[in-house]
Amino acid sequence: MTLRNIIPEVLTFIFYLLLQVFFVRQLVFFDYAFCFAYVAAVLLLPFETSRLQLVILGFVAGLFVDIFYNTTGANAAATTLIAYLRPSIITLLTPQRGYDERQVLTLRSMGFGWFISYLGILTLIHHFVLFMLEASDWGLFFQVILKVLASIIFTNTVIVILQFFRKE
Amino acid sequence: MYRLFQFISKQRAFIVFVLLEVLSLWMFYSYNNYPNAVFFNTTNYYAAKALETSNSIAEFYNLRNVNQDLAMENKQLRETVLKLQAQQLVQPKVNYKADSIVAARFQPIVAKVTELTTNQFNNYITIDKGTADGLAPGMGVISSTGVVGKIKSCSEHMSRVISVLHSEYTMSAKIRRNNEIGSVKWDGKNPELLEMTDVSRYKLVKQRDTIVTSDYNYVFPADIAIGYVTKVGVKKDMTFHDIQLKVATNFNTLSYVYVIKNRLEKEVKQLEETPENKTPQTSKAPQTTKP
Repeated sequence: MTLRNIIPEVLTFIFYLLLQVFFVRQLVFFDYAFCFAYVAAVLLLPFETSRLQLVILGFVAGLFVDIFYNTTGANAAATTLIAYLRPSIITLLTPQRGYDERQVLTLRSMGFGWFISYLGILTLIHHFVLFMLEASDWGLFFQVILKVLASIIFTNTVIVILQFFRKE
Repeated sequence: MYRLFQFISKQRAFIVFVLLEVLSLWMFYSYNNYPNAVFFNTTNYYAAKALETSNSIAEFYNLRNVNQDLAMENKQLRETVLKLQAQQLVQPKVNYKADSIVAARFQPIVAKVTELTTNQFNNYITIDKGTADGLAPGMGVISSTGVVGKIKSCSEHMSRVISVLHSEYTMSAKIRRNNEIGSVKWDGKNPELLEMTDVSRYKLVKQRDTIVTSDYNYVFPADIAIGYVTKVGVKKDMTFHDIQLKVATNFNTLSYVYVIKNRLEKEVKQLEETPENKTPQTSKAPQTTKP
């Protein structure tokens, strides 16, 4: 990877974090649907990003968001986990013909079905870990599940919409 | 040995993952308990500055509501002043008059809200005053319409407040109409509703009763609104009421808050910690009574 390829990736990473902290954070529907679009910063890194890089970037992204959410460590834990699981999920979702070498991790290149199941699985894990940590109480399990499901829909919608603004 | 290094280098992603995961969980469970931990949250200087800028835009749209709240408060204050003036003319039943220092022990400090959440399981509010303005952890925070929370940690110019909408926050409360004491807590579900417990079911509680802070309280002055009763039921154990309140403070448009500084707090604490006060000794009694 050359420097010319890396700079846009870095800018996208930072863009998602700033978007989360200054804009999307304020958007909450019915006190249940939250948007954690920043997971896209980690989930949409290029295919060739190594697992080690993913885990470290995931931790950094999570901790940054934690500072603004006053949840020291909760987002970091959830994002590090999905960053580590990402390569396994990509392998799990391999199409029958295998991945094409020219494919990149965008909605247009991967197709809607693949893209949404990839995001869906990982946001499910992320949101569940995050909300369960915050609730710290199994008595709120039902509440947590409701929040998780509502938030998955919200987060995925926002990430998919953002994909349409991407230059190919 | 070589094999070990080979193993480590092969599994380095997994090892780093486990380390970072343990680190973040450790931070989550321990960091939140340190009262002076200020770096990894919104009292962090840079985070606070950034939020202040973005909030100044949102604040503009809230001005109408803020004005309304302030006007309401003015009205209430005016009523209180009139009532007090009227009371001065009537002789009190008991010959008791509070010392002027005791009467003026609560000093309000105005602060602006820079960051606030209402829909997490544990909600915090960040305000723009800190130790430089005489704030300290433990002080109460109120708004023009009711109770807001309690300061948890302070940096020099910022403080973090535990909102009443926090799963671990309980406060002593009373029903204004008949002075029944109980405690108020949030159940973590609806940010509009609080729960009041420990009120015996044989006491009368009506809908729309006002619940206020109790007199046994160093954090808040007595008689600050906490909420209004919306539903009264009986708990499963059949001994206590199950009361639901609507929060008095309007958290969605909260812009300015008052931090309550208790000038006598140190004195009260000192008094309580003096050994004689803990275990009154009868043998010393003659010395304390005046001839």
